[in-house]
Parts: sequence; C-alpha cells; structure tokens
Amino acid sequence: MFGKYDLNVELKEEGIEISITGKGKKKSYYRKAGEEEVEKIIYAEEGNVVICPVEPVNLPNEGTSQHLLIELEKPIIIEPRIEDVFYVKFPVEVGVFLIDKKDVERIDIFTITKPKYILYGPPESGIICKWWGSDAFSEAPEVKRLYEGVMKVEAKNNYSEWVEIRKMVFRALDMKLFYNEHAFMHSYLEILKKTMGETSFNERKPKNMKRAIDIYLAKGIKRLEKKFVMEWGFK
Amino acid sequence: MNIGAAIKDVIDYQIKVLGGRTVGDVIFFFVILFVAVIIAKIVRINIRRTLKEKVPKTTLNAVEKIFYYGIITVGFLAALPYIGVEPTGLMVAGGIAGIVIGFASQTVVSNLISGIFLLIEKPIKIGDGVSLGDVSGVVKDIRILSTTIRTWDGIYVRIPNEKVFTSNIQNFVAHAARRFEYKIGIAYKDDADKAIEIIKNLLEEHPLILKEPAPQIFVEELGESSVNLAIRIWAPSSHWFSVKTEMLWKIKVALEKEGIEIPFPQRVIWMADKKKG
Repeated sequence: MFGKYDLNVELKEEGIEISITGKGKKKSYYRKAGEEEVEKIIYAEEGNVVICPVEPVNLPNEGTSQHLLIELEKPIIIEPRIEDVFYVKFPVEVGVFLIDKKDVERIDIFTITKPKYILYGPPESGIICKWWGSDAFSEAPEVKRLYEGVMKVEAKNNYSEWVEIRKMVFRALDMKLFYNEHAFMHSYLEILKKTMGETSFNERKPKNMKRAIDIYLAKGIKRLEKKFVMEWGFK
Repeated sequence: MNIGAAIKDVIDYQIKVLGGRTVGDVIFFFVILFVAVIIAKIVRINIRRTLKEKVPKTTLNAVEKIFYYGIITVGFLAALPYIGVEPTGLMVAGGIAGIVIGFASQTVVSNLISGIFLLIEKPIKIGDGVSLGDVSGVVKDIRILSTTIRTWDGIYVRIPNEKVFTSNIQNFVAHAARRFEYKIGIAYKDDADKAIEIIKNLLEEHPLILKEPAPQIFVEELGESSVNLAIRIWAPSSHWFSVKTEMLWKIKVALEKEGIEIPFPQRVIWMADKKKG
C-alpha cells in the first residue's frame, strides 16, 4: 500500500480500503480502516497521492503527545562501555498526502493499532508519550506492515555501571522514517548516566528504501535540537 | 580666510535666544538625541527578538515602548543643557508632578508591578484552564495591567493583575497529567474482585487513560447499602474532563452487563415475631 500513485487509485490490504475516484477535477476520496470510514472531496487536475508511514504520535488525538515511548517486554541490561544493536517494533500510522511540484497537503492519517498513552517522568514535570510494547530482537523481526514497523536501535552505554533498559523515549520531531515493504527507523540510544540518556535518529536513507514525508517539515516546523534527553531513567 | 576657519566661526556663533549657546552646542544636542534614538531602536529590536516567543504580543509591545521611550527621554534630558535648559528645574517640577501622579496612580502601578511579576513567575499562560479566586475559566490574555478570562460558561472577565497576583491560583493544566476519581457502590451479594477486573479491562481499552501512573481500583468502604469501590484514573491534563465525563456511564453499563448490581440505598428491617413475643 505504501507508495506514490496517480489521482485515480483503488487499494485494499489487511482490511484497509483507500480509493480516489472520479472524472475531471472533482475526485472522491474514501478510506476505511477497521470500523472508521472517511470521505472527502478533492479538486485536483494534476499531482499525485503518496501513502506512507508517518511519525506514530498523531492518533487518536493530534497534539496530545509528541513522543513515542517503547517499553520492552523483557528489559535489556547493558555492560559499561559496550555498544549493542537490537530491533524493536513500533506502531504504524499511515499518512495520505496530495503532492504536486510546489506543495504537500495531508489529507488523512489513520492506524489500525490500538493507541495508548503513558506518562514518562513525574506528573509535575513529566511528558505524555504514545506507548507501545515490544520485544527486543537481535535481527529485524517480521511485521504486519500496516500494523507495525521496525526500529533499529544502536545502544551505547557510556556510563561506568551496568544499566537496565526497559523504556526508551523518542521525540517525533527527531524521527526519520523510511519505507519499502514496511516502515523503518534507525535510532541511537546513548546512556550517559544510570538514569539519563539521549535518543536520536540516523537521517541517512537506507538502500532500497524511500524517505517518508516528514509531517513536521511539511508543516514548516524546523528542528532546533536533534536529540531527546531521557532524564527520568529507563525503567 | 580658509574653510576651516569659516566652519569654526559658524560653530562658535552664539545664538541669542538660546542664552548665548553656540551652533556647535545645538549640533551636539541633536547628535545626542540621534544617538539616543539609534540606541533605543537597537534595544527595541533586541527585546523583540529575545521575547517574541516568550511573552504575549501585547506585553511585548508595552515592554518595547517602555524601553524605547525611556532611552529617548534619558538622551533628551542629557542633551538639554546644550541648548541652555537645565534639567534640574524640570526635575523639581517633574518631582512634584510625580508625587501627585504617584498618589493618583497607586493602583495602576500596583497592577503594573504585579503584571511584571506574573510574567516573570509565569504561574499561568494564555490558553490554560485556571481558577483565580472565585473565577474559573480559560486564560485569554495576560496584559501588563490586567488578565482576561473566558469563564467556562463563556463570560468575559477582566481581573486586575494585583488581584491575580495575590489570589490563590489553581492551574488545571500546568502539569502534564492529572487524576480524577469515581466512587461506585456494588451490591453485597456481588463479587468485588470480578467488578474490579471488569473496570480494569474497560479502562485499559481507553487510549487517554494513562498506562502509567496506572489506574487504581479498590474496595474503599463497606457502606450501609453497598460495597464502595474507589476508581482513581490518570489522564493527560488537556483531556481529563472529556475522559471523566465519558467513563462513568461506561463503567455503569459494563458492570450491569456482567450482572453486577449498583444498588439503591436500602435498609433491612427485621420484624419481631408476635408468637414468640
């Protein structure tokens, strides 16, 4: 389903239906995901539609959170001064965009995942994050591509003691999403202290993958800091 | 006569109406004024750049104007002696006027100072849901002298900043998450553990009920007519009210669907046996 299409398209996959139909300038957009249905009218002559994964923090309430917290089902304990690579799954939110040479317009975002929020840190100073539970895999796991994506995590323990990681928090503004068959992100986790670390993302496009549309860049929001500081620990 | 001497003559030329001040003095007066305006503009631009994202537009305008006209006034007073006007005379007149104005504008100054402290301390921000004394609503604007609130029922309320500063402020959205509580009674004949499990599963399904801090559900009291359960739920501060209004009925429906009764107040009456009596 991910990819670039003409303004006349009908797609069906894993219970999701997307169609843009109609002759001339007036088109009809229809999307069904689970029990949710959306219909819109599009006036367009040229241009294309792009369907790709987007930063998974927009649903069910855009603006509630700008962070994704991934909780490992089995925690990882990392030795001092050691680097390790593992993979986790993250929830997929699918964005539908209209594009032409000058502009990108978001027309829809949907998901078939069951969203849940969590507080990272204390109530008085913590942040609301979108929550997702995942195992840690030594190799890229198989995923249902419209349900979950794969995140490669390069973890580095720069602290002088063993550190247990159960939670990792990523800022949506920092995320760099790619896709081919499934959604993909490549992140870094640098452990600075027992209860403090930094998360960031690799911006380089992997081979045979396409760069997803960055909804923050599309909105004209620029990033000042490219790292998120996890100041309330990893548990 | 060379040009240098001619210019010196012009500069040294005394102007009678200005008490014998020279043209050079007048030029110097304007130079000081010009420099003061330039400095004021630079300060204004820097204030705008620094505070643009941090304070509301109206406050920013007020701060800009205070600095801009303050610097020009200082420059003007510093330049006055060059045109034969001694600022000490103005100071005396200004001082007397200041005392008069000061008495007349005590409240205004008090509100102004409170406004500045509110901007520094930032107990409330525009858009926050707050309770200020006996007024509750959404903060629409924080100006230099007053704060405006749109109450929950849509009424415009202007509160002087002095009152805001000295009243008890409750900010409902200052923290990321907040907790609310329900109390639900179930019949004595029903299984409280089962009821807790049903409610727990229902809360787990709702995306805006936080996974952590986890909801707490427990038997709080053995009441007169029911076993009373306490349900404590954390939700994002921005959405807690919608979650609160939504969940109570859903809990009631879910409990009744599983055959758990929410009883009316009741009293068991034992009648004395007449035969035995």
